[in-house]
Amino acid sequence: MENKYYGGCDVGSTTGKAVIMCDSGIVASAIVPSEIDPEETAVRALEEACGTVPELGGYKNLDYLIGTGYGRNEVPFADENISEISCHAIGAHHCNSEIKTIVDIGGQDVKGISLNSDGSVLEFAMNDKCAAGTGRFLEAMSRIFRMELDQFSDLSLKAKKVIPVTAQCSVFAETEVVSLLAKRNPPDEIAAGIQAAVAKRCFTLLKRIGVRPLVTVTGGCAKNRGLIKALAKILAMEVTALTVDPQIIGALGAAVFAGRKLNAPK
Amino acid sequence: MINQSKIAEIFDEVIASPENRLLEQDIDEGKIPIGYTCSYVPEVLLSVDRLVPVRMRAPGIAGTEIADNYLSSVICSYTRSILEFALDDRYDFLRGWVFAASCDHMRRLYDNLVYIKKPAFAHILDVPHKINEAGLAWYTDEIQDLADRLSKQFEADMSDAAVSAAIRERNDFTALLSSIHELRKIDPPPITGTEFHRILTAAQVSPMHMIIPHIRETLDELRQREGGSYRARLMMVGGELDDPEYIKVVESQGGVVVADRFCTGSIPGLEPIEMKGDPIRTIAEHTFKKTICPRMMADFESRVQAIIDVFRDYRVDGVIIEFVKFCDIWGVESSPLVSAIRDAGIPVLKLEREYRLSGEGQIRTRVQAFLESMGK
Repeated sequence: MENKYYGGCDVGSTTGKAVIMCDSGIVASAIVPSEIDPEETAVRALEEACGTVPELGGYKNLDYLIGTGYGRNEVPFADENISEISCHAIGAHHCNSEIKTIVDIGGQDVKGISLNSDGSVLEFAMNDKCAAGTGRFLEAMSRIFRMELDQFSDLSLKAKKVIPVTAQCSVFAETEVVSLLAKRNPPDEIAAGIQAAVAKRCFTLLKRIGVRPLVTVTGGCAKNRGLIKALAKILAMEVTALTVDPQIIGALGAAVFAGRKLNAPK
Repeated sequence: MINQSKIAEIFDEVIASPENRLLEQDIDEGKIPIGYTCSYVPEVLLSVDRLVPVRMRAPGIAGTEIADNYLSSVICSYTRSILEFALDDRYDFLRGWVFAASCDHMRRLYDNLVYIKKPAFAHILDVPHKINEAGLAWYTDEIQDLADRLSKQFEADMSDAAVSAAIRERNDFTALLSSIHELRKIDPPPITGTEFHRILTAAQVSPMHMIIPHIRETLDELRQREGGSYRARLMMVGGELDDPEYIKVVESQGGVVVADRFCTGSIPGLEPIEMKGDPIRTIAEHTFKKTICPRMMADFESRVQAIIDVFRDYRVDGVIIEFVKFCDIWGVESSPLVSAIRDAGIPVLKLEREYRLSGEGQIRTRVQAFLESMGK
């Protein structure tokens, strides 16, 4: 092989992500739904990504592979694993070195990460066990509206007013939303209220670590434009979009670390 | 990682449930087990004559469904867990309960236990909020009152000679534990934090004379053992932490816990009791000295300094502050403490947790990210 390939695999609770890089940059990536077995998720993500790089001949031939995410210990053939907190930090820094604050909204948790100027982690905070305010929460909410997440996001953007909804607990929030719909409140305004509630939880988390611009959002929920709008409003600050799919930032960070390890002086 | 040679299985066995084989044997021989919940309860007084102190824990608790009816869900899960175990009759083997009014949650635990279980002997010590001469005199009176009640209830010999004998015995015991604790200063340490806290926890729930041979044997084994590689030397700071499995989860990311500063820990809990004059006053002085609790007023700076001193003495790389959720005392303490430690140039991670070990994946992620942020 002419090129040296290295990769990162982020095994999350909802999706598995893989990014393959060589010295010229990202050459392939994949996002697959999570299987019950995290190893299977990793294999599927890596196979899909590596399948687009015929020269590589499969993920087993990667020169360096790093696992991250909650299933980081289950990535087959990984040379090592690194926490998703460090990976999101370096991944976002790789895309835009001016990023100082990250909100990573994943399937089952939310993390606030403050970065040093070199992309290393200065400080971080995570939500507790409860899934309120995470991707799972938003999935549950959009199900009430019989919508896909992107439709739900678009719906919230149409709202001219916001009906407050609590996001302290997913179960109670669901009950509250059903009641609001039963009272014939406009669905778009309820949807906007849900986005605002999640944004408030992110705000609280970010206050624990301090918010410094530029701020960005990573993880699958970064694609939720309604949430980004609500977050920008509550932060009174622009939320910077990354040039790379925000859902693969963790895997990208792992791949960046893999490249550093591979190219480190022996 | 450190080579995990077999540390005496007896420690795992005795900490697995409130009533253990050693205690049962001691009770059969006529000893009187007295439960206690807080470091402000002088355990040495509960080991005078035929008394045996038992630190109250709730190992393996699955939930607090019944206790939640009596204690609000915003009361710390340690107190709710102890109440649940008591309501499940898991502590019926105790002949008496001694508490300290160290916080409101402990007071409510005492109130409910007395109300529901109606134990033959229950006592709560009032604890001053300031360490000064007046506070010491007050606390000495409190301990004397407890001694008198124990003497009356159990016909325990609380004479100066008997109390002094108990102090000597306890000093020998803590000196033995300190010998193991000192090994943690070695680099690399021959003992993990998990192993050390298995021993220390066992020491708090077993009759001294029965656990001592096992500790001696372990000390001999450890002196022959060489430490292995590790990612970082860690110190843990906080309140009640009586489950060594929690430390195991922390250490699973490659760090080794070489020092601790929490209620059920070793610094400064293993300091000897200085024998001088009235033994009851000596115990009061010692209890203040061995317990560094944020409930005390006007002591914040010295608590910070204590952590910084240990950080240097044990060549610690980073400090983890852990405390049970809804603990008012540590909840308030932790924020300025994090800032003060960080201002001293020490990496610090704050972990809020439930009493019962849960959310292991999140703890691992946080600890791993903490180690990575230190460049380890």
